Amino acid sequence: MTSLTANYPAIVVTPLLREIPVTARSDMRVPVRIYADEELWRQIVDDRSLEQAVNVATLPGVTGCVYAMPDVHEGYGFPVGGVAATRAGDGVISPGGVGYDINCGVRLLATGLEAEAARPRLEAAVHDLSRSIPSGPGRNPWLDLSGPDLDRVLQDGCRYLVERELALPEDITVTEASGSLPEADPAQVSEKAKRRGHDQLGTIGSGNHFVEVQVVDQVFDAAAAYGLTRGQLTVLIHTGSRGLGHQVCTDYVRRMDQVMADYGIHLPDRQLACAPLSSPDGKAYFAAMCAAANFAWSNRQAITHSVRKVFARAFGEAGRLRLVYDVAHNIAKLERHGNELLCVHRKGATRAFGPAHPETPERYRAIGQPVFIPGSMGTASYVLAGTDAGLALSFGSACQGAAKRARTGAEVRHELEAKGIIVRCPSSGELAEEAPTAYKDVERVVDVVHRAGLARKVARLRPVGVIKG
Amino acid sequence: MMSVGSIAPWHDIADHTSELRIRLRAGSLGELLAEAGRALAEIQLRGTAAAASGDWRRLEVSAPDRAGLLAEWLNELVYLGETERWVATEFAVEPAGTRAVTARVRGMTLERAPGLVKAATLHGLRVDEVPGGVSGEVVLDI
Repeated sequence: MTSLTANYPAIVVTPLLREIPVTARSDMRVPVRIYADEELWRQIVDDRSLEQAVNVATLPGVTGCVYAMPDVHEGYGFPVGGVAATRAGDGVISPGGVGYDINCGVRLLATGLEAEAARPRLEAAVHDLSRSIPSGPGRNPWLDLSGPDLDRVLQDGCRYLVERELALPEDITVTEASGSLPEADPAQVSEKAKRRGHDQLGTIGSGNHFVEVQVVDQVFDAAAAYGLTRGQLTVLIHTGSRGLGHQVCTDYVRRMDQVMADYGIHLPDRQLACAPLSSPDGKAYFAAMCAAANFAWSNRQAITHSVRKVFARAFGEAGRLRLVYDVAHNIAKLERHGNELLCVHRKGATRAFGPAHPETPERYRAIGQPVFIPGSMGTASYVLAGTDAGLALSFGSACQGAAKRARTGAEVRHELEAKGIIVRCPSSGELAEEAPTAYKDVERVVDVVHRAGLARKVARLRPVGVIKG
Repeated sequence: MMSVGSIAPWHDIADHTSELRIRLRAGSLGELLAEAGRALAEIQLRGTAAAASGDWRRLEVSAPDRAGLLAEWLNELVYLGETERWVATEFAVEPAGTRAVTARVRGMTLERAPGLVKAATLHGLRVDEVPGGVSGEVVLDI
């Protein structure tokens, strides 16, 4: 489709940055800035993501620029890979700007094992992971939460899991927001949402979610590698808030769709439904979203507990797993940028704060916050470090991963196994859906992020075992 | 309530990256919602034929308009699938105007929740009157 570029002519600011000016459409309030090289730009104009980014630029109270990451692609209302900040005082909050899978995110665990030394027991360990961590639409038979326990997860997130001995105290020091947003209010989460989520803690879910065993195959900056060394075995967990988060989004998109006109808000896309953050509707969504985010961090933490047990069985003390970091990529956060308190919506985008930011964990103050960019299943993933410059470039944000581009055929299992990757997935159909060739080139996406200064390349991880949701 | 037109119920399911798009046509809003339910069941059962069993159950949903009703209706069925492992396959839908619907449905309980569809979205959602009935379109998050 060439009409989009014709409708929204983009100015080339630098070889890696284009801008759709605020004058491109009469209802825009801010410009749209897109990070991409020529090849990624050709892919971006191929879907409706630019039109969606322009729609986001019409939201009341939106400020600065709307940013599109190099992996941006068409979503529901907001494009996936989009960042938009609204003023906390008079701006809106939009459930569509967070997405259905609230706090979908990634965490990286590092072992003390060399991959080569672990190889004789690796296949058995991957199979044990597959048996121990429910995937697909599965429920968790060993962690069904009753009402008060689920409310504690929603209220306190990973802090509650420390009490339950499902998390180590040091885990929460290297989890975004310590795995617990204080603005959460379980009372704003519907009974329907709680019923969907009560037995899903510690499960991968379906879609593009996975647990992947990896080896560090390249270190770009040894001094800033978060303790990662070449040949080391790692585990990457990618999942979110499961049915609970989906129901929270469904509930509040419906609610805001019904009340939006009362606030005098009229938008070009119904899925952008929003309400002023300071309104009762906006406050209720924010409190529910924070609770769902706490559930998602707890979900990844509960999976971590299962992975640790499996690795202890397989490798003993050498299989001890250190949490490197956990970062969200579907969330709205209250952040101070300059003198303003903003509600930063990151949908399919990762926070990437630099060394100087107070929310960067103490132990990473010399490096910057870790950023994880998972590739598609079977391709490399990347570890990057946030930069201080990124605050001005993208509200301190980087991309989420190698976004989907198109669907592929069905022989994925054989392709992956031919590459020596151990695959555990209940559905060949869903395996095909997540085929590497269905995604944009992660190397190119990461290269643009690095060269644009949004985050710095630190290490590359190669998969050796996949448990697919 | 709209009159019943001449269009036979029809649906088409198209997949796109992380979503499924259902296009619908039927002689009335009630038939359109019933056809949407059959399309969802086709996705949830992954094309395998299955007969309904057990008692009819009553569902009620409401929304600000006809298009919203389509999304609400499907979201209710998605919710029942995930929480009860129950998929509806037979429908008798009675709209009460354009903002509410009462339905009697029958279906089946599965061994495992049908996890593919997670939500019906408002993205590109529409229900329009056309000669002989109504047409609609809804995008499902998967």
